[in-house]
This record gives sequence, C-alpha cells and structure tokens, in this order.
Amino acid sequence: MINLAYKDIQHTFSKFVITAMGVGMLLGIVLIMIGVYRGMVEDAKVLLNDVNADVWVVQQYTLGPFAESSRLYQDLQDSIKVIEGVDKAAALTFQGMQLFDKQGHAVRVYTVGYDPRGDFQIIPDSALIEGRVLRESHYEMVVTDKTGFALGEKIKVGRNIFTVVGITQGTVSSGGDPIVYVSLKDAQIMQFSYSNPRIRNDRARGLESKDSQLVNVVVATLKPGYAADQVAQKMERWKHLTVYSQAEQIQILSKNVIERSSKQIGLFTLILVLVSSIIIGLIIYTMTLEKIKEISIMKLIGIPNFLITKMIIQETILLGLIAFVFGNLFAQLIYSNFPKRVLLEWPDSFTLLAVIIVTSFLSSLIGVYKVLKADPAQAIGG
Amino acid sequence: MDNISIKVENLEKTFGEGESRVEVIKGASFEVNKGELVALIAPSGAGKSTLLMMIGCVLEPTSGKIWLGEELVYDKKWLTKDARKIRREKLGFIFQAHYLIPFLNVLDNVSLLPLTSSEKEEVVRDRSKDILRFLGLGEKFNAKPSELSGGQNQRVAIARALANQPQIILADEPTAALDIERAHSVVKMLKEVTKTQGVSIIMVTHDERLLGYCDKILKIVAGKVETSHVTEGEVV
Repeated sequence: MINLAYKDIQHTFSKFVITAMGVGMLLGIVLIMIGVYRGMVEDAKVLLNDVNADVWVVQQYTLGPFAESSRLYQDLQDSIKVIEGVDKAAALTFQGMQLFDKQGHAVRVYTVGYDPRGDFQIIPDSALIEGRVLRESHYEMVVTDKTGFALGEKIKVGRNIFTVVGITQGTVSSGGDPIVYVSLKDAQIMQFSYSNPRIRNDRARGLESKDSQLVNVVVATLKPGYAADQVAQKMERWKHLTVYSQAEQIQILSKNVIERSSKQIGLFTLILVLVSSIIIGLIIYTMTLEKIKEISIMKLIGIPNFLITKMIIQETILLGLIAFVFGNLFAQLIYSNFPKRVLLEWPDSFTLLAVIIVTSFLSSLIGVYKVLKADPAQAIGG
Repeated sequence: MDNISIKVENLEKTFGEGESRVEVIKGASFEVNKGELVALIAPSGAGKSTLLMMIGCVLEPTSGKIWLGEELVYDKKWLTKDARKIRREKLGFIFQAHYLIPFLNVLDNVSLLPLTSSEKEEVVRDRSKDILRFLGLGEKFNAKPSELSGGQNQRVAIARALANQPQIILADEPTAALDIERAHSVVKMLKEVTKTQGVSIIMVTHDERLLGYCDKILKIVAGKVETSHVTEGEVV
C-alpha cells in the first residue's frame, strides 16, 4: 500500500523540515523557559545544600539570613556549640557586592564568609575545579568560574587586595549570582567595618566605633539521635534566637524569596506552551488546506477516508517528533549562553514531548475534520 | 438491461428555494449502452457538470432514478450508504485538468485507487503498468506530474480512470486544456478504450470537431436531454 504521508513529505521535504525546524525552535524556547524555572529553584538550594547544616540560627523574629536581614554576635557559635546535641557550629556571613575585572567591568557576586579553620567546610570538594579552598585568614578568595576571574588574579576590594586561590563551578546564590568565598574576618571587614572618616565622625558625635564581631548566621550540625526541632526549641528558649531546620530554610527560600519570580516564569512557560500548541494547530490546518484540492480529488475518485486521515495524522505526529528533536538540539546549543543557570532535564523534555504529541494529534483532528467535510464536487469545475 | 450501462429516468435537479430556485435539469431520461462513447453537449451553465456529478453519485438529484449497470442507485434518495464505494467500484473520472496527486509518481497515481481494494499489490501494479504502456506512457512510470506535458498528464488521468476496471468513465471536458491535435489523440484513445475494454464513457465537450468519434450525443436543451445517434463516418 502506498504511504501517502511518506510520499507527500518526500515531495515537499525541505518545506516540511523547515516548518519542523521553526516549530522546533519554538519548542526549544519552551524548554529553555522550563530550564530557567528549574535553574531558579535549583539555585535557591545550592548554597543550603553546600553548607549542609541541620539548624540555622538567626536573629530573633527574622527570616534571615536570605529572606531578611539577620545580625548575631560571632561568639554565639561557641554558646551554640556547647548546647546538648550540637556536634559542630560555625558563624557565616552573606553579602551581595560588586567586584571589578581587569577591564573595569562590574561583576555582581554574592560573598560568603567562613572561617577556613572552623568546623564547617563550606566549599564542597565536588565544586572545586581549580586551585584550593581558603587556607589563610586574610586576603584569599575562591571564586565561581562564571565570575570570569582566573586563578592567581588579584582583585581589589576596598582597601585590600585579594588573590584568587581556587575556582568553583555551579556555586550560585538563591538569586543566581556567582558566589565568592572569603575568610570570615575579611567578610566582617567588608560588611560591618566603617571607613576612617566615618569613625572620626562618630567620635565627634560622642559615639564609640570599633570593629564589630557580627555575623549573619550560625549554622550547626547535630549529633546522631538528636532531633532538629528539639534542639532548636532549646536554643530559642535560652538564647532568644530564631532557629530554622534545613527543610524550613529551603521552604523560606522557595516560598518567600523566589516564589513570585518562579511563579512568573512558570506562568510565562505555560502561556508559551499554549501559544506553541495554537501555532502547531494553525500549521497543521494550513498544511491540510494546501492539500484540500488533492483531498477532494481523492474523495471523488473513491479513496477511503481512513487513508486520507491516516496521511494527515502521520504527517502531524511526524512534524511534532521532528520539531521535538530540533527543539532539544536548539535548547542544548544555546542554554549555556544564558547568564543564569538553565537546567535542562530529560523528564521535562519527555513531558513536553507528550504534550506535543497530544497537541499534534488534537491539531490533526482539525485537519481530519476538514478532510471529512471536504466536498468531492469541489474537484469538478463548471 | 443486459446491454445498458447507464439509465437515467425523469432526473431533476433544482438549486435554491423560493424566488432564487433554479431548475437546472428538468426530467432528463436517457440510456447509455455498454462500450459506447457518448458526448454530452450544451452551452455553458446548462447543467452538463451537474448531470455528470449526479450520475457519478457526487451530487444528489432532486428526484428521478439512476441505474448504473443493473443496480438502481438512486430512486428519490440514494439507495446505498456508501456512494464512494460505488464510485470506487463502478466509475472512473477524468476532469478538465488532470488533477493528478502532485506528490505521487505516475505509477502510484494510477495504482492508488485499486490498491485500496482487496486485490494483490503485484496484480494492481502490473495492470497499471499495462494500461500506462497501452496509453504510450511505458517510459514514465516514475515521473512526477510536474515533469510531464499537459497531454501526457491527461493520458495518466485516463489511465487512473481505467485502473480500477470501471464499467463507466465520466469525463468532464477532458480535452479542454489541450490543443486540437492532442485533443483528437485523447478522444481516439477513449474510443479505443470503449471498444477494447467495453467501458462506457460519457464525455462533456464543447468541441464539435470531436463528436465524430462518438456513438451517441446527449444534448441538454432547456433542462431536458435529447439523444441523437452518430452514424459511422458522420462529421457533425
């Protein structure tokens, strides 16, 4: 039996492929949008997962350190460490800031300050792709590759010059900014120390300015057998602090910090899928209309409907499949050029494939309807 | 009825209602015998194509009766649910333009319809090739319609009409798009088909120079069909 879809596609091969490529690019953009959404959700968890603490101790009545400002004294880590059930504790600082590369271009980064000799190793071994982690208490910096800084490069921050000693990959803040790691002491100077004129001004006002020993959060891990909520309750009661578990901190990030952005991206993706479906439907409809004369002739000479509808459905499904392949290729080609993380996941691709197959099939029904309604008398002139 | 291929009795067709009602065919009655080449003539708009479409089970008449072979297919209503099956099994169509499927080659165009039957593909392909050879297209099996001349395409259309071995071929101005030399050649071919394969052909034409090939002439006058016979060698 003659396969009409195969013959028709063979006859208009380049047109068919170009149409599929066009639809594929549209699907590629849908995949990228899904990837942006996934990337945003994933980015929000990167730092939390890297720190991998059981409890996050922050300033009382705040959602710190990511959703709200939080300030604690550094020595609190020692008080936390002696609470029953606590295994390790470390004070950390987080701060958004702007660095400048050799050409003077601004590089937006998120700075994490930690004690290189402390209990916590904040930089995971798996993330370090070059150099080493921090070793000294001052003037060393580990940067994420996306910052563009090279190993050994000197970076001026305020009055101090830092040397890049290590490069990581995939370490980003909840906002998607690349992370740089500095020692806790350096981070405290960056965030809390005043300039000399300000200190002089404060003295003139009768205020005493001195180097503060503030941090944004104290993280802790627990000994086996201790539940996070029980230890947290103890800390909150006796130390007048607010304590979150790792799960609560993730929830704060996903619900409070990125919820609106992710909803916006999600809604945009949904609209894009809808628009793509409509465009695929219109393309199928137009493809069928282009063949309506031939369809009328076929109906007139007695070709059964199933043979004609089979052609329409096969062409539609094939268009969807080829577009899906092109869409994935297109997305894979361009996703790394996006400034923030785009996470392309196969389950998303296959879900989209299912949506496209269903959409294509439904679109082909419009074509099939046209076939069934086509008047064979249209074939005869006069 | 043994020798009758088409019989039409008191066939009527009206379009529209009320003031816009137009009676195109008003009680047409005629017969076409097996193996006859019949010309259907009339001025433009007189209802030639309408009559052809009614016989071809494409357009429903307003009233009357139609027999195709011995089967009564219309008696004030279609007597079959599947008019396309009748077209597929009993009828072949040739149009003013060739209307071949552009994405199929010559052999596929000719084989497409009979391949939908229960016949073996090999048998259908062989018969289609024989018909194409008979019509002088033995070298063009794999050519696409766009690669053939107008006359060649019209011959492929004739081959397509013959491929499912119909009893009747309905040809709606099959020579309209051809020059006179090719028109004569096509009609000669149709004549040969009627003689060699016993097929009845009704051919709509405006060209009186072609009527000499026909056995009978059906002329639509004021909605009725007048039948006249053409004697051998007569030039109309």
